[in-house]
Formats: sequence, C-alpha cells, structure tokens
Amino acid sequence: MSADQRLTLRRRLFAFLIAGVGAATAAVVSFAMTVYEAANPKVVPVVAPGQPIDTGRWIITIHEARSGSIPPTGTKPLVPKKLLMVEFDLNNRSASTSNVFLRLFTIDPPVANLPPPVLYLARDKWIASGVNPDMPERMIAVWEWPSAAPLPQQVRLRITSQIHKRRDNLYGAPGWFDRDPVAVVAVAVAPEATGTAQ
Amino acid sequence: MTGALRGFVAIAFAAAVLYGLQRTTPGYGDITSPIRVTGKPGQRVEASAFSIVTGKVHLARSVTIRSAGRGQALTTSGVWVLVEGTAEARSESLGLTSAQWLGPNGVRYALSQRLSTAPGILPAQRLEPGLPKPVLMAFEVPQGQLSGGTLLVARSAWTPLEEEVGITMTDIRPDDIRPFLVLARSEGAVPWTLNAQ
Repeated sequence: MSADQRLTLRRRLFAFLIAGVGAATAAVVSFAMTVYEAANPKVVPVVAPGQPIDTGRWIITIHEARSGSIPPTGTKPLVPKKLLMVEFDLNNRSASTSNVFLRLFTIDPPVANLPPPVLYLARDKWIASGVNPDMPERMIAVWEWPSAAPLPQQVRLRITSQIHKRRDNLYGAPGWFDRDPVAVVAVAVAPEATGTAQ
Repeated sequence: MTGALRGFVAIAFAAAVLYGLQRTTPGYGDITSPIRVTGKPGQRVEASAFSIVTGKVHLARSVTIRSAGRGQALTTSGVWVLVEGTAEARSESLGLTSAQWLGPNGVRYALSQRLSTAPGILPAQRLEPGLPKPVLMAFEVPQGQLSGGTLLVARSAWTPLEEEVGITMTDIRPDDIRPFLVLARSEGAVPWTLNAQ
C-alpha cells in the first residue's frame, strides 16, 4: 500500500465517521424532542367568550350558549328535544367559499351518543351553506342532546386549527390541513327562556 | 486553495440554481388547473362542451324569493349579484355545477346555496345540445369585489384540466345596487322574473 492510498483510505474513514456521528446526533435529538413533547403536552390556552380566535383558515368568536327546545328555524319539533345552541361569528380567511366549518370545534370532553351539530345561519334562520371570504356571518350550532343525559351548566369547546400548504407532501397540491387545537372556550349555558316558547 | 474556492463556488451556484428551480416550478394545482376560455359579457363564449352568454346583471342588498304566495327576504352582508344568461350544451347533455365570481383580489365566491331552489338556477339545469336554456346565477360578493370581477363557469369545480369559461364583467357600477329585488317564478320562456320593488 502506497502512502497515497493510505491517505485516501484515512480520508474516507474520516468522512464515514463524520456522517455517522451526524446521523446519530440527528436521531438522538429527534427522539429526545418526541419524548419531551409527549411528556410536556402543549397547554391549549383558555379563551374567554367574545374573544376572536385565529384558527388559520377561520376567525371564530364564540358568543353565548343556551339551551332550548325550539331550533333556530322557529318550528317546534314534533317530538320534544333538548337542544344546546352556541352562537358564534365566523370569518373565512381563505381565498374561496368554504363550508368546512362543521369540524371546527368539538365539545370537550366528548359526550357519549352525541350526534354532530347542525349549523344554522342566524341571518336566514336556516341551515348554513358555505361562508364567503371577507363576509363574516353569525352562526348557530345546534346539538340535539341525548335524552338520557342532563344538559350541562357550562360547555367547553375545543377549537381546532388548519394551516395552508402551498405544496402538500403527497401530490404537491395546495390545500388546507388540520393542525392541533388552538383554544378552549368555556361558555355558561343560559337556561331556556320560558317566555319565548311558542 | 484555488481548488477549494472553485468547489465552494460550484456548490453555491448549484444551490442557487436549485433554489430558483424550486421557487419557479409550477405547483400541482397550477399544472392541473382548469383551462380558461375568456370572453366578454353579451358575447357567446364557447368551451368545447358548452357555450354561455351572459345577459343582465342585477345588484341588490336583499333578494326576496316569492314562491307559493309566500316571500322570504334574504339579506347579505355584501351585495347580491344575480347574473342572467343563456347556456347550451354542444355535443352531449350536461349540467354546469360550478360558477364562481372571481374578485379583483383573486378571491373566489361560489354560487350562493341560499338561492339554490330559485327557478332557473344554473346547477339545477340540465342542458341539451341545440336547446339554449335561460339560466340564473346568484352570488354574494363584498361591495369592493364587484367591479373588475370575472365570472367563471365550469362543469365542475374540481375536475383537473377541464375547460372553464371566464367572462370579465365590465359595466358593473356600485350605483346600480338596489335595496330590494323580488325573484318570482314565471310561466314564460324565462322561468323567473326579477323586479325591483
């Protein structure tokens, strides 16, 4: 083996060593970060009702919650129902009309046998369709509460977020993607006003 | 020393080229976006599958739908834009399920679902070749997005590489916004009437 060859070998060994140390460090740091994040979950901030919450795609302001037996349409259901209604303002910050606000918030902790809410447009007192960008709307979410469970005094809403990616990881297409919850809102549930019942 | 310098310059150059390529490569959404056929209001605009002519454009703060003797007033935080037109299929029967108002700032306003039961509304119409049919399109648009808007009509909103008609809506003046408009069913050739009340 000549001196030149020995030098090349040493250089290659050195390069392998550097690459190996680098890869090992990256693996250790990544693992440690995962463990740390799992041990210290991010605390979701509690936001007061009436405060606007930026969820990325939407700005939502939860206003009030009330219980009742008549849905926002004003038509009394044939079978008496226990309804939980939450009023909120919604502003679409994306570049197109969207109706993807059904999954924007959930009741926390989850209630057993609770069907998904129906969303009404307060302006029409009718079921809401898409909300346009730059045109904030007052909406009402209505849960039909299971008859076996009592209506709560206070409801905690966990609000999720979405981010926009110019290129997603699968197709490279632009789109909105779900992210972690950004806020929890606790609202007192006002009892049904007996005077307005028809 | 010059060798090391040359290597560094080569790597920096390669990085710059790659960065430029990454920034300028059109995304998947751009590559597969609908192909636009442009036209003017009042002019017959022909895509390969359908053609459309727009007529009168009505602007109003509130639209009342009158059906079966009852009227329901629909208000909006923006302006109602009702576009009358005539659409026709060219080679096979089809429906046009997507119409959008593209504002001057690039925001898209889809057809208002609140008027989806109105007579002659575009997505509910089945178009036949050789039989032009009057169609109505209704949008809710903020006042600032009215002038300079473009009407986009396509068979569906999400089909890649489909043709869409883009009509630049000129002659839209915010002075023409009427406080009320009544949309009623009609038995004539045009299945609706629009009156300011």
